[in-house]
Amino acid sequence: MRCIPFAFILFAGSALTAWAGPAPKYAVAELPAALRENAHAVERRHDELLTVKSAARTVETVLRATTILDEAGSRWASELVYYSSLNRISYFRGAVYDAGGRQLRQLRSQDIRDISLSDGFSLATDARGRVADLSQPTYPYTVEFEYEVVSDNPLFYSTWKPQATEQFSVQEATFKVVMPAGLALRFQERRLPAGTALAQSTVAGQQVYAWRVQNLAALEEETDAPPVSELTPAVFTAPSAFEVEGHAGQLNSWADLSRWTYELNANRATLPPALVAGMQALVAGETDERARIRKVYKFLQANTRYISVQLGLGGWQTFPAADVAAKGYGDCKALTNYCQALLSAAGITAHAALIKAGADEHDIRTDFPSSQFNHVVLCVPLKAAKADTVWLECTDQTNPFGYMGSFTGNRHALLLLPEGGRLVPTPRYGAAENRRQRHADVYLDANGNAKATLRTLRTGLEYDAVAGLAGLELSEQKKRVSNRLALGNFTLDKVAFQPLPTTATIPGLVETLALTLPGLAPPSGKRVFITPNLLSRLSAPTPAVGERQTDVWLDYAFTQLDTVQLHLPASLQPEQLPAPVQLTTPFGTYSSQLQALPDGSIRYVRRLEMPRTRFARADYPAYLEFRRKVSAADKAQLVLLKTDA
Amino acid sequence: MMQPLLFRALLTGTLITATAGLLQAQDAPIKFGSINEADLTDRNFVADSAASAVVLCDFGRSYFSYGGKGFSVIFERVKRIKILKKSGYEYASGRVPLYHANGRDEKLTSLKGFTYNLVNGQVVKEKLNSDAIFKEESSANVTVRKFTLPNVRVGSVVEYSYSVASDFAFNFQDWTFQEDIPVRWSEYRASIPEYFDYRMVMQGYEPLTVTEQTKSTGQFVVSYSGQSEGGGFTATRTAGGSDTYTPLMTNYRWAMKEVPALREEPYMTTTDDYLARIDFELAGTRMPGRPYEAVAGSWDKIEEELLNNEDFGTQMNRGGFLKDQLTPLLAKAGTDPVARVAAVHGLVRGSIKHNGQSSLRATSTVRRAYDQKAGSAADVNLLLIAALREAGFKANPVVLSTRSHGHLLPDMPPLLSRLNYVLAHVQLPDGQEMLVDATEELAPSGMLPHRCLNGQGRLIMPRGQESRWVELTPKERLTSYRQVTMALDENGGLRGSVHQEHAGYQALAQREKLRELGEKKYVADLSAGHEGWSIPKYAFKERDQLQKPLTLDYDFVSNAEANAPAGTLYLNPLRDFGMEKNPFLHENRRFPVDFGTPLEETTMITLTLPAGYELAETPQGLVMDLPEKGGRFLYGVQSTPAGIQLVSRLSLSRPVYSAEEYTYLREFFARLMAKQGERLVIKKKS
Repeated sequence: MRCIPFAFILFAGSALTAWAGPAPKYAVAELPAALRENAHAVERRHDELLTVKSAARTVETVLRATTILDEAGSRWASELVYYSSLNRISYFRGAVYDAGGRQLRQLRSQDIRDISLSDGFSLATDARGRVADLSQPTYPYTVEFEYEVVSDNPLFYSTWKPQATEQFSVQEATFKVVMPAGLALRFQERRLPAGTALAQSTVAGQQVYAWRVQNLAALEEETDAPPVSELTPAVFTAPSAFEVEGHAGQLNSWADLSRWTYELNANRATLPPALVAGMQALVAGETDERARIRKVYKFLQANTRYISVQLGLGGWQTFPAADVAAKGYGDCKALTNYCQALLSAAGITAHAALIKAGADEHDIRTDFPSSQFNHVVLCVPLKAAKADTVWLECTDQTNPFGYMGSFTGNRHALLLLPEGGRLVPTPRYGAAENRRQRHADVYLDANGNAKATLRTLRTGLEYDAVAGLAGLELSEQKKRVSNRLALGNFTLDKVAFQPLPTTATIPGLVETLALTLPGLAPPSGKRVFITPNLLSRLSAPTPAVGERQTDVWLDYAFTQLDTVQLHLPASLQPEQLPAPVQLTTPFGTYSSQLQALPDGSIRYVRRLEMPRTRFARADYPAYLEFRRKVSAADKAQLVLLKTDA
Repeated sequence: MMQPLLFRALLTGTLITATAGLLQAQDAPIKFGSINEADLTDRNFVADSAASAVVLCDFGRSYFSYGGKGFSVIFERVKRIKILKKSGYEYASGRVPLYHANGRDEKLTSLKGFTYNLVNGQVVKEKLNSDAIFKEESSANVTVRKFTLPNVRVGSVVEYSYSVASDFAFNFQDWTFQEDIPVRWSEYRASIPEYFDYRMVMQGYEPLTVTEQTKSTGQFVVSYSGQSEGGGFTATRTAGGSDTYTPLMTNYRWAMKEVPALREEPYMTTTDDYLARIDFELAGTRMPGRPYEAVAGSWDKIEEELLNNEDFGTQMNRGGFLKDQLTPLLAKAGTDPVARVAAVHGLVRGSIKHNGQSSLRATSTVRRAYDQKAGSAADVNLLLIAALREAGFKANPVVLSTRSHGHLLPDMPPLLSRLNYVLAHVQLPDGQEMLVDATEELAPSGMLPHRCLNGQGRLIMPRGQESRWVELTPKERLTSYRQVTMALDENGGLRGSVHQEHAGYQALAQREKLRELGEKKYVADLSAGHEGWSIPKYAFKERDQLQKPLTLDYDFVSNAEANAPAGTLYLNPLRDFGMEKNPFLHENRRFPVDFGTPLEETTMITLTLPAGYELAETPQGLVMDLPEKGGRFLYGVQSTPAGIQLVSRLSLSRPVYSAEEYTYLREFFARLMAKQGERLVIKKKS
């Protein structure tokens, strides 16, 4: 996992203005009251200018002036400008103004720090940054930053998102792109306010595209809602032709990008003859296609590891497969290329596929071909009668065979093919696959102390969260499990993990725990109280203050199944059993019930299934009502009476 | 009060001398390039099966050589690691930080490495290639060399060796015996000629298996050409030639065996404070024919140096430019010295923002920091001292090490690099004294930031002999107080009002949270912590009166889940106001629990029952004490005509508890939570 090679998408910029004169600038008194509402900071002015010099070079110029209204807005008081071997900073300036708009000071070169942006897992990276902080002790104040970055990496053009976060308003923001003659700009506009139009002109043979927005009031994020950046204006841009370190390409379609990337990485798949023979021997006699692929993948996982090296073009181009064969390590491109070569030696055709990896990443904009990827995986089409595909993550030594979890699943990937590939969806896991199934036996004694054993199976994306646990040291396992358990007071007596067999269609992990629970059900006089739903309490979202503004996005489908068997001492018997609850709604289904068994024990069974769905904000109260009922049912208490008291 | 059991000893002079002449006889514990084949099988690692990797041997040696630039320190290391799990692959990569300054540097030489695998019963050995070695400019004075070994698999043994030649005698390599994976054998040897006087400090919670010290005679040949000046020996020569010096050498050997992995736990200062480690500090030099020259030496010297420095001592007398602002503020503050200190503190705190950096020396001048309105901790607090002096106070600097920078104890060798922070000490006219820090925008005058609560600091007085250690103990606690009045209805619904006060360090924390979230989100966050609550009304008080507790009054409504009156109601009023999780989930602990501050948490509830209902069973009261007056929990329920009175009070009276006390602490919290979990049974009167 962890591959962020197609590094930093740089911001854009604006015409360079003359340096601040003595006249006040950005006086806070001039700020409309509506823009201060709910805002920690106000963008007074944000001018981004992207000047495309040629297919091989772009220049991005930014001027931003931001008024910081309170401490929570002070993160806008600093600026970080990225650079690397392909991106050079031509200048970086700044100044700070008081509330009246009088300049307090200018940024000096010794105030700017140069830092390595080593990500902590890369062995080598050329990513660096310059950082400046103009924070002030009293509010409000205004910071102004200007910088320019010259890039020899014109695969990426600017994305303009003038209001990407909540509690942040915008007085004025502009975006301008200047294209040289003969090079067309490709762009996509999203959610531009009514009346905002592209202004297009030709100046000295250059095409100029300009956008402008004004007076965008601050928004606030709501629970189960789209992120603010999905609600506010955006303009995406991309080249139609580009050149990186002598490698020229077109970008008018996904096929174009696929072809360029394919060619950049072609002819790097030669393996040592002994290894080719080894792969042939490995799969010899194995007729099942899936089993053949699994054997090769197992070899890859046992003999390689992930090492990140992000230097220059190395961000795009793989190391030769022979290198990986010799060293046993590589980055995502190198390991994918190597695995593809191993499969090829075993007579199996596979294609590399670019993907935007990350647990919280939304899918790429499929209708706007451009470089939106940061990772690469392998796609193996099966020849079997029923068309099917095996997806392989090549950078993780423990990833289950064919599994695309929250890092790469449920999104689009671009196949790299010599003739130009297309977008294909990676596997999506629904409520049936993302399952947590738990059985607990709780042995309560007369004093309210308990012992419990728990067996929990997690599959699909539920598995993702615990996938790493099985390989850890015992003390580390105990620490993490303890921190996750929703219990106040306990001792963990036993922790064990057992993965599902590798032949299972979706991966899973069984966790077995033994717990001592002192004071689980403290007696109050004659009675003992216990919440039979030991571990799976789902709390209701906080009610919104005011009216719901945004639609509801439930992005994660899952199923929870719980059985708790309560074994009581002879001296305790239930006074009353909570009534069963059954809820069926478009937002999810829920049931819970308690049953007294003939042996004197009590069985609690709970089932919750939540779909992946989106609905209008008008339905929010109904959704909230559902969640409240679930929460209430989850907390229901069982009252036990002491028979010997 | 029990002391934390940190094992820390100054080794100089206290070391028990072992038999002399052993050094030559002692073989190296590891030979680079040849491994024990059994280490490639599983059978040697049954006991470590839970670990992701094991250090088989880590062997380091430091000694001196003499060359063109004078003496240099040569550090040689061989390290061998067994990889047991895929999660241990990271240990197949190494990093060596190298320092450079003023044309002098530390050089990495002869970096070599091997990976050993057992393939079909044969040992296969592959070497580290130069294309697997990388360089990163990590800061202005530090370059990091990183490397990774080839073909690492589960079961591989990797090893590497390198030398670092250092031009910096003061930068003698320290040695860490302990890591986050188990270490089977870790050994360090140091050969030091009599010309160099080092102080050695041992720390940690693991015992040394070997400590030896032997004497021998060394030999250094100093060659010189005509008219050159020898570096370390500094005698000016006119003709070329060479001299041979034969100083007395002290040869040290330290080793630890089977060192357990060190893991991070809650309430630690910094893991560096707990690792088994030995540090070296150059105290002075004793070159042939020259008197002893102290390098680090005494606090006196460090203090004198700081006081005379342009970026420290000088700045404290440069507060004159604040006179005009101070005069009206002091007039307003009146004659109470504490109020006057607070006025000065308020001025500094409000005029300069701390940029988050801890530092001992000013970036440039306090005047400039004031004009920039931002600066490091030293910028802020040296300005504070200057302002206090300008206001007529006897204000002096206290230098210290912050919690993340590690312990500073009076018995440690005095060393400038141990210090990373400065704050103000004020001698009040009535003989009282106080410590003041202006880096926290939301902390009142007299409260130390949490990062400074780290043992003792050194008060530097203008007259050296008056300098002394001062305790950096918190004057305030982490204090919460809640008074709740609530009424139960016969369906089980609750409504009530809460008066809540946060004082001391809790006030600081809550003011910070409030500043970050704003009132609306703060209250939303509060109701999120109480399921089913709505908060129709709230009011904050004393947001800006930092000397006073932060107060919040709010009403809450929690609707009944039932629609009809119930015969019996079960209520757990402390569920909404008590502790959620025992902070100590792990059964044992090797280190002290370092909270930084004492704690006090009080909740008083007055509950009114619906008409015709009564408390059927009254939970038993409880008073529980920690040993040695370490803390107390008090719980009581009482029926009164005004309603049911419930009190829960927790106090932890110390900032630090020893590892021995851990079991008590954990049990204390377990019982407290059980008590807070008890329910009130409320019945309709028959």
